[in-house]
Amino acid sequence: MPERKLSRRQVIAAASILVLLVALLFVPKFRSEYELLNYTRFLILALMAQGWNLIGGYTGYAAFGNVAFFGIGAYTTGLLMISKWAVPFFPAMFCGAILAALVAVVIGLPVLRLKGHYFAIATLGVAEATREIADTWDSVTQGSTGIDLPVRSEGEFFYYSALALVVLGVIATALLVRSKLGYAWVAIREDQDAARMLGINTTPLKVLAFALSAVFAALAGGLTAYQNIHVTPGDFFKLEYTLQMIIATIIGGTGTIFGPVLGAGVYQLLSTYVWTKFIELHPTVLGLIIIFFIIFAPRGLMSLVSEGLKVVRGQKRFRWQGLLANVRAHRVT
Amino acid sequence: MVASGGNGTAEVLLEARQISKRFGGLAALQGIDLKIFRGEILGVIGPNGAGKTTFVNCISGLDKPTSGEILFKGVDITKMPSYAIGRLGLARTFQVVKPLKQLTVRDNVAVGAMFGAKGATRTTAQARAYAEEILERIGLQHRQGHKAAELTLPDLKRLELAKALAMNPELLFLDEVMAGLNQTEIERAMELIRGVNRSGITLFVIEHVMKAIMGISDRVVVLHFGKKIAEGNPQEVIEKPEVVEAYLGERFAKRVRGERKSP
Repeated sequence: MPERKLSRRQVIAAASILVLLVALLFVPKFRSEYELLNYTRFLILALMAQGWNLIGGYTGYAAFGNVAFFGIGAYTTGLLMISKWAVPFFPAMFCGAILAALVAVVIGLPVLRLKGHYFAIATLGVAEATREIADTWDSVTQGSTGIDLPVRSEGEFFYYSALALVVLGVIATALLVRSKLGYAWVAIREDQDAARMLGINTTPLKVLAFALSAVFAALAGGLTAYQNIHVTPGDFFKLEYTLQMIIATIIGGTGTIFGPVLGAGVYQLLSTYVWTKFIELHPTVLGLIIIFFIIFAPRGLMSLVSEGLKVVRGQKRFRWQGLLANVRAHRVT
Repeated sequence: MVASGGNGTAEVLLEARQISKRFGGLAALQGIDLKIFRGEILGVIGPNGAGKTTFVNCISGLDKPTSGEILFKGVDITKMPSYAIGRLGLARTFQVVKPLKQLTVRDNVAVGAMFGAKGATRTTAQARAYAEEILERIGLQHRQGHKAAELTLPDLKRLELAKALAMNPELLFLDEVMAGLNQTEIERAMELIRGVNRSGITLFVIEHVMKAIMGISDRVVVLHFGKKIAEGNPQEVIEKPEVVEAYLGERFAKRVRGERKSP
């Protein structure tokens, strides 16, 4: 951030973010309790996607097991709250995040030395293993019956908590990607040999990205656990959660600051809409829409937005080829 | 043996002792001994498959030699990871260029400035400013805002050089930075390389363009089938029969020798 003076562009960007934020602050005033639940789901998905974006988007390692950290966050939060110490919610959630980060470090150190595809498979295995542990460790997790948390029913509490975490997530992401760490992550993604030769000690920095992504997932897990009251292995270690965060990030734009949030919004909107229109075919229709996005906007909506802004500003003429360039970017010749 | 030519000093900056590298049954390098003197431009030539790039990979830590040891500034770097070697002051370019495609040209170079020998002392803003300085020096500043993915091959070769220079190396390995360049571009690249050397950086230059390597090198080393077959003053080295033979084949070499005997 070399220039102190803000350009007009930055002022407009900041203003629109502010307007959006204020609008989100007033959502609970104008929406029913049921609708608010969808908004909270969007924010929790955004939080998970932001985390996945750090390892999958910026560092370029397709993690397929982040649901493990979601589950660890959920169980840690729940177990601490119902333990004999009766830890309050926020400290409990915080502990869950720390534990998830530690687990990510232990798993990451061997697994992040693997190349991309093998890493993906290994993380998938880890997610399955954590589910099995939660399922069979009866004395602690009460197996497949699951645990019950103290009841808290006001939807606004969860909505505002999630909103605050997402805003913090955006700020954290923005700061991280502008730091040396962020540059190192992108260098690792673009070419690992080049990154190493440029003086980057890749393994610890990859592990850090993985641990931070685990923190986001664990916070989302803790919040969801408290909201759902009941935590079971089947509900919290679902592969579906991993897929959702990946899809949301891709729809919005991998390796962009706002992409995961935008993508989560679009995903939640589509999911809710499709759910009400096609109850029977819900997964099929949603699947088709996702395929559409992957084929026609593989770089995500953020790239379309930034290209669109260039056209509006008159820096670029609108051309259909521009849209196709986005499609071609990820084709095999 | 003469320690060094024009620019070299007597100080040994890097010493490779008995470097061998085997890939399965293939002996890519067989007991290479080599000294690089501070301040010199050491040219390396040899036919395709002679082991030039393998040698650079072994020195720069991207690959480990099967046996032998490497001392850089007196430090044993044989088993050091490449990032640590880079921070110690040894940088390289890649023959098959490795740009960070989605980053701008300026940010590509800034990464080198952030993590190289002086990286720890620079903030990201300072690294970016230094990157601009480097780009100006090598004449790539007009592309600094472009993504690396948009560059042409000659510009990508220059970007490789810029990234390596941003690391503030004492020793720089250039792996065929002139391949694919036309005559004018080669002239410019030679001037650039001389300038880099004048700024105090010792150079190890692998090149196929014979005119270029003869024009810039203080000393020349010839590799052939993983062995060092000649070393010394450029003009003398390329007239050695074994070098001519390695490059042109036995029959042609005999003809050359024959012509010399009876002018």
